[in-house]
Amino acid sequence: MSTQKIVEFTNVFVTSDRGETIFHDFGFTLTAGRSVVISGPAGSGKTTLVELLLGLRFPDSGSVELFGQCLWPRKRRLLKRIRRRIGGVGGVYDLVPSLTVAENVMVPLVLASVKKRARSERLVKMLTEFNLLKQAALYPHRLTRVEYTLAQFARASIADQPLMIIDEPAAGLDPATYKRIFEYLVRMSVSGRSVIILTSQAGSDVLPQCDYLQIKDGLLS
Amino acid sequence: MRLLWHTIRELFRNLRRHPGTALSSFMSLALLFLLFDLFWIAAGTSEGFYARLLSELEMELFLKPDLADSAATTLHDTLGSIDGVRTVTFISAEQARERLADLVGTDLLYGFESANPLPASYLLTFEERSLTSGGVAAIETEVSQLEAVERVVYGRRWLSKAEKTRDVILSLGMILGGLILLTALIGSANNIRLMTKVRAVGFRQMQILGAGRLFLAAPFLMEGFLIGGLSGAAGWVALFYARSKVTFAQFELVLPPSIEIAIFIAAVAIIGLVSGYLGIRKMMQ
Repeated sequence: MSTQKIVEFTNVFVTSDRGETIFHDFGFTLTAGRSVVISGPAGSGKTTLVELLLGLRFPDSGSVELFGQCLWPRKRRLLKRIRRRIGGVGGVYDLVPSLTVAENVMVPLVLASVKKRARSERLVKMLTEFNLLKQAALYPHRLTRVEYTLAQFARASIADQPLMIIDEPAAGLDPATYKRIFEYLVRMSVSGRSVIILTSQAGSDVLPQCDYLQIKDGLLS
Repeated sequence: MRLLWHTIRELFRNLRRHPGTALSSFMSLALLFLLFDLFWIAAGTSEGFYARLLSELEMELFLKPDLADSAATTLHDTLGSIDGVRTVTFISAEQARERLADLVGTDLLYGFESANPLPASYLLTFEERSLTSGGVAAIETEVSQLEAVERVVYGRRWLSKAEKTRDVILSLGMILGGLILLTALIGSANNIRLMTKVRAVGFRQMQILGAGRLFLAAPFLMEGFLIGGLSGAAGWVALFYARSKVTFAQFELVLPPSIEIAIFIAAVAIIGLVSGYLGIRKMMQ
């Protein structure tokens, strides 16, 4: 297994707009191919963690490195490049309402300037893999909750993004539906990609090749 | 190439999804530019009318009564050589009397059949470049100094008033034109801002997925450019059509040259582009 660092948080301090400490000397490393489930109650900083990873906000002090590169507010091009290497499901990730499922899934390939033929082939593969062929021409508001989540999975996987962020995969799902989603989580965790799963409550199901961490009082344990 | 296709596709998608917004944007801009075009034509037409009036301006130089014929002939050449003078016409005392008779009739000249108190005079017209109050006044100063000239008469006050009126109209036209273009800019920017607000979720998602600023902005910039250019052209199409159907007996409508119209359309397309940028600027931050 490669020891290349995909994500590295070093001495990160983050304070909210209201002056409350969210992260206090926060440190965290994720190597290539590993997966991690980070759990914590609402308000513990899970969403802030995603925002830091995507460069939507920046720490008060400390550093956030992705793929060996430090994120800075002024490095727009770097942010753009890094965001293209991250796939996301849930949380800040939504489907674009004005695009169909097929168009949504294809966005990462369009941004990566993949040629049309290769794009189409890859799209069909993804839609087949995630059982979305029938929904390809539908707009997001016509999808069921599961279909919506699966479309996000397909979009997060289509360009073989090396890092995947899954935010609250079980939120609002009934046990049967969650079971279907969990199958995909297992697939992702053994796919060789690095996966960060954020959840309010770590379930009883255990994912293979996965570390379990908890955010508490701005620290990881 | 990817950006170009994306821009074109998104542009038509925007127009198809929000035809009402696009149409209202186009119509309001077209009407504003039509108003601007009308001002432009009115300014051109009145400018032509003013130039025609000016070209008819004459200066009459009344000669001293005791001037010899030979001196009058020499004076003709002297007047003709003055810078800015176009034509010099001699009017003898007899011709002046005939002109007066034509103007007021012979009844009023009863008792003056043998005596003619009218002086001989010269009538000057001017080159176009000298047809300003300053230019004509300079010529007046020059001819007044000639010994043979007793009095100089021309529509000094009329010329001064006409010039002032023209300046006021020109200033008003420029202010109104500026206001119209500003209104077009703000109106178009607001329409595009509305469109981006409708698509705010999509915008943010595309940014999170790694779309660049140009990738997101290009369709809206193109939309502003296209709507600006089309509405600018629509005004002129309407005016040319109206001109082909309506003719005025009293005056002729002076339309600007084609090259100026083309420059105008390009300029309003650029205004549309700028309004597109203003519309999406906040969303890009």
